[in-house]
Amino acid sequence: MDRRTLLKGFAAAGTLAATGRLSAPALAQGAAARTLRFVPQANLANFDPIWGTQYVVRNASAMVWDTLYGMDEKLEPQRQMAEGEEVSADGLTWTFRLRPGLKFHDGEPVLARDVAASLERWTARDQMGLLIRAIQQELTATDDRTVKWVLKKPFPKMLLALGKISTPIAFIMPERIAKTDPFKQISEYIGSGPMRFVKNDWVPGAKAAFERFPDYQPRSEPGSWLAGGKKMLVERIEWVVMPDPATAGAALQSGEIDWWENPISDLVPLLRKNRNVAVDIADPLGNIGSFRMNHLYPPFNDVRARRAVLLAMSQEDYMRAIVGDDDNLWKPLPGFFTPGTPLYTEEGGEILKGPRKLDAAKKLLAESGYAGQPVTCLVAQDQPITKAQGDVTADLLKRLGMNVDFAAIDWGTVGARRAVKTPPGQGGWQMFHTWHSGADCINPAVAIGVRANGDKAWFGWPEVPEVEAQVTAWYEAKTAGEEKAAIGRLNKAALDNVVYAPTGFFLGYQAWRKNVSGVVKGPLPFFWGVGKTA
Amino acid sequence: MLAYVVRRVIATVPVMAVVAFFVFSLLYIAPGDPAAVIAGDQATPADVERIRQSLGLDRPFLIRFGEWVWQILHGDLGTSIFTNLPVTTMMAQRFEPTLSLMLITLTFAVSVAVPVGVLAAWKAGTWIDRVIMGFAIFGFSVPVFVIAYLLAFVFALELEWLPVQGYTPLAEGIWPWFENLILPAVALGCVYMALIARITRAAMLEVLQQDYIRTARAKGIGQGGILFVHALKNASVPIVTVIGIGVALLIGGAVVTESVFAIPGLGRLTVDAILRRDYPLIQGVVLLFSFVYVLVNLLVDLSYTLLDPRIRY
Amino acid sequence: MTPAPPGIAVAPELPDLLPAVNLGRGAVGFLRRHPAVAIGGALLLFMLLIAVFAPYLGTVDPTALAPARRTRPPSAEHWFGTDMLGRDLYSRVIYGARVSLLVGFSVAAFASLVGLAIGLVAGFVRWADAVLMRVMDGLMSIPPILLAVALMALTRGSVGNVILAITIAEIPRVARLVRSVVLSLREQPYVDAAVAAGTRTPMIMLRHILPNTLAPMTVQATYICASAMIIEAILSFIGAGTPPITPSWGNIMAEGRALWQVKPFIVFFPAVFLSLTVLSVNLLGDGWRDALDPRMAKGL
Repeated sequence: MDRRTLLKGFAAAGTLAATGRLSAPALAQGAAARTLRFVPQANLANFDPIWGTQYVVRNASAMVWDTLYGMDEKLEPQRQMAEGEEVSADGLTWTFRLRPGLKFHDGEPVLARDVAASLERWTARDQMGLLIRAIQQELTATDDRTVKWVLKKPFPKMLLALGKISTPIAFIMPERIAKTDPFKQISEYIGSGPMRFVKNDWVPGAKAAFERFPDYQPRSEPGSWLAGGKKMLVERIEWVVMPDPATAGAALQSGEIDWWENPISDLVPLLRKNRNVAVDIADPLGNIGSFRMNHLYPPFNDVRARRAVLLAMSQEDYMRAIVGDDDNLWKPLPGFFTPGTPLYTEEGGEILKGPRKLDAAKKLLAESGYAGQPVTCLVAQDQPITKAQGDVTADLLKRLGMNVDFAAIDWGTVGARRAVKTPPGQGGWQMFHTWHSGADCINPAVAIGVRANGDKAWFGWPEVPEVEAQVTAWYEAKTAGEEKAAIGRLNKAALDNVVYAPTGFFLGYQAWRKNVSGVVKGPLPFFWGVGKTA
Repeated sequence: MLAYVVRRVIATVPVMAVVAFFVFSLLYIAPGDPAAVIAGDQATPADVERIRQSLGLDRPFLIRFGEWVWQILHGDLGTSIFTNLPVTTMMAQRFEPTLSLMLITLTFAVSVAVPVGVLAAWKAGTWIDRVIMGFAIFGFSVPVFVIAYLLAFVFALELEWLPVQGYTPLAEGIWPWFENLILPAVALGCVYMALIARITRAAMLEVLQQDYIRTARAKGIGQGGILFVHALKNASVPIVTVIGIGVALLIGGAVVTESVFAIPGLGRLTVDAILRRDYPLIQGVVLLFSFVYVLVNLLVDLSYTLLDPRIRY
Repeated sequence: MTPAPPGIAVAPELPDLLPAVNLGRGAVGFLRRHPAVAIGGALLLFMLLIAVFAPYLGTVDPTALAPARRTRPPSAEHWFGTDMLGRDLYSRVIYGARVSLLVGFSVAAFASLVGLAIGLVAGFVRWADAVLMRVMDGLMSIPPILLAVALMALTRGSVGNVILAITIAEIPRVARLVRSVVLSLREQPYVDAAVAAGTRTPMIMLRHILPNTLAPMTVQATYICASAMIIEAILSFIGAGTPPITPSWGNIMAEGRALWQVKPFIVFFPAVFLSLTVLSVNLLGDGWRDALDPRMAKGL
């Protein structure tokens, strides 16, 4: 007992925590320092970044598979596997040249035909990829290191598409794997990225392991997000899935894990008190919370009812319900695009600003003809973000005098129910909650939620021709000024017609042991440049 | 005896068939769509539909059920929708932690609860009995996760004696393996101990009133000898029965314990699978659980012949 | 051995199953001899009163949000503090008594009724026995919590569905108990006699079997009630229970679980209330069993 008190007195309490235990397994200190134990935001339930688009799959995939281009921290696509590219004067022919010496984890060289097959599979599943696919003439490997992509119409945003960070990323796989039907899962996980996936150590729901790929050739530039030299400083990375945040917090405090991707904000003060733990914002691009209203059926087929909800809602309530008391973690968001990125705008955002106008909202709602019919509100209970938002919405609708039919279901069921277009009461719905990563709201190519092309639009099926006109204007824009002007008009039209309701912009924390170095802020955890001392 | 075992094993087939059909039809009528979960937030309804087709989720109930039964008869439990790994592999990965947790809990609970129950019966009516039974009824009444958090807080975070979470395979050493399982086993064992202690006491009380115990006492056999040799042996049938029944209780509690202590076991696998609608996996795990249940009951029945010579099969 | 005249209920001589409960000396005497019943009853009564009079106990709307004053520790204004959405925990815990007791009692009642029916039929009708018991075996072989989780996955979370899910998981226990009692009763001479006298089966069930199964069944029912309240909490805990808007103890704990290290009061109060309620039901059950079966009454 005295020994323990004594031990606690030492400054290096963290390392002693282990020796203070009943056991002191004499693990080789070196081995411990070469393995980084990381707690991801969610379970790595599958491992095909084209087939499944959850963020957690993308984040793991970014270690294993490499890309032609990679987005850097300035949101510019930079060459990664590509040594260079050439676009013909008419903008119709793109030629990409691969860096020499690239190798897959099975020892085979990366060839142009692997790239062509990978892009082929990716364009079948990606929103931007589909646009390219629609205007594609041919996609071929002209020699071992050259890929030629011929289009029927120019596509100025090509490099953005190949280097973007939102899912699915255009990862390059060996041809035989890339030939898999894009709607079927791959079962071989071989890439050319800096880490190898250790399939035998994969326990879905619990653990995944990655080992350094010794033959990886990093670029010479310093690493910056998905761009630059991806130099690995640890030999092995273990992902440990912890469904219970309290457990993850305790494990980080006791040094059983090294890095926690998404600590809940209420635990952050406790983690900060621990002298061996560092805490910082995880992703400067943050997240945008939202709920969507069904534009096909009453009451929200009437723009007045939708505007009534915007008039009454308090983004502060939503944000506090999501992030807690920490005011550094959220901002009101009178728009649809990510704050701090070039296209951010508040044009037309007055309806979300200032004191909330409950009475005006009630009046507007009455004008829309709402007379107490039930409003089916889908809320996923297994996602803390949707759950918190759902609770706030239920309270809001109640205060507006609406009759809420609160459907507390799981995320999978929300996924199924929200696609149902039948009227509410026959399986349909009037409202559901979700959120988007800030990286997915930086422009209308990736921000699918703001699209308003009726039947083809995202769930809720808004139809606002003005919004669509501005999307086209953005795609065709030649200068940054033109882009910004188009997005300003888009933002206003989308708010005037309430394509959907943004509930605010929020950030999350990440936390790591102080013997881990090189953790950066970004939309996903970047493992290159991260080192660990014993 | 052998004929009995064979008969019992054959009798499990209808039980398993009922379970299989029940689970399968339950899942069939369940709302929720794994395809939508897989497709993710950016997917269009058409994508979701194509994934659904590629998973074969759009085909009629009986065809899917028939195929599944056919697969099982060939020793194949299918492939998980989400991970694309064989269900058998996924269950095998999770088997060791859960089995370890169960065995340690079982050993711990029985070795504490039985002597304590005997003691309570022996001292029936005294304060010792009251205290023991008070604890037992309390163990029944506190939810397992409350006990789990309390233990983790005291022994892992404050005293730093034991790890907070995790599981180390037995192959990496007995102590690391055991160390990680102490707190979960104690948390999980509470309800179970309460149950066994109560039944032990009740069974012992009954036996202690019998004539032969009085005879033994009259013959001057020591108190310990009476309690543990004569009485406990005769009281053991209900105790063993309850231990067997309790295994189902343990499996249920393991779901919670495994999630609190981040143990990669079958309980968590099952809940994850259910919440995500990973049909082949749910079916596999439920079959496994019912198999274990049937097996445990068979073992319990067979143990009767050892414990009570009057019972013969 | 005298055949019972049809139509007249005969108190059977079954010391094992139906000891006469002599309440002649009055309730006070009964309670004095069974302090467990007294304590359990008092506690349960207290919880029932809380549940019934929840709106008059200084509570506010248990679902009213105030995100601006979330996770406040207990104070004069919020006796038990506030939760992650700023809801008043005292009000939620008090109203939570309604949910837990409703779930506990309903499951006990429904599971007993259905289990009784199934057990009676299975015990009496040979061809039905095989089928029903295979189905019960099948249900029993899935751990109750997992079965309830699976059933909850089917339906959207509501108190009614939680009750239904737990009831289905608990029915086999009652059915098996009732069936075993029926099977042992069938061997009793007076039942044989009734059969010989040509009494129709439903009549035999009603007159002879049913009264004798009630005693062990009521004991079972109290345990089911207790276990249902625990299962309800566990379901909420793993995210498959009542909608979180519903102030149930399980929900409050489920929401507070992530913060047990920093805001222990969120989990503490509902945990204490739940444990006390379950304890009271268990004490009642024990006392009731002892009262019915004096051989067990030694001690506690």
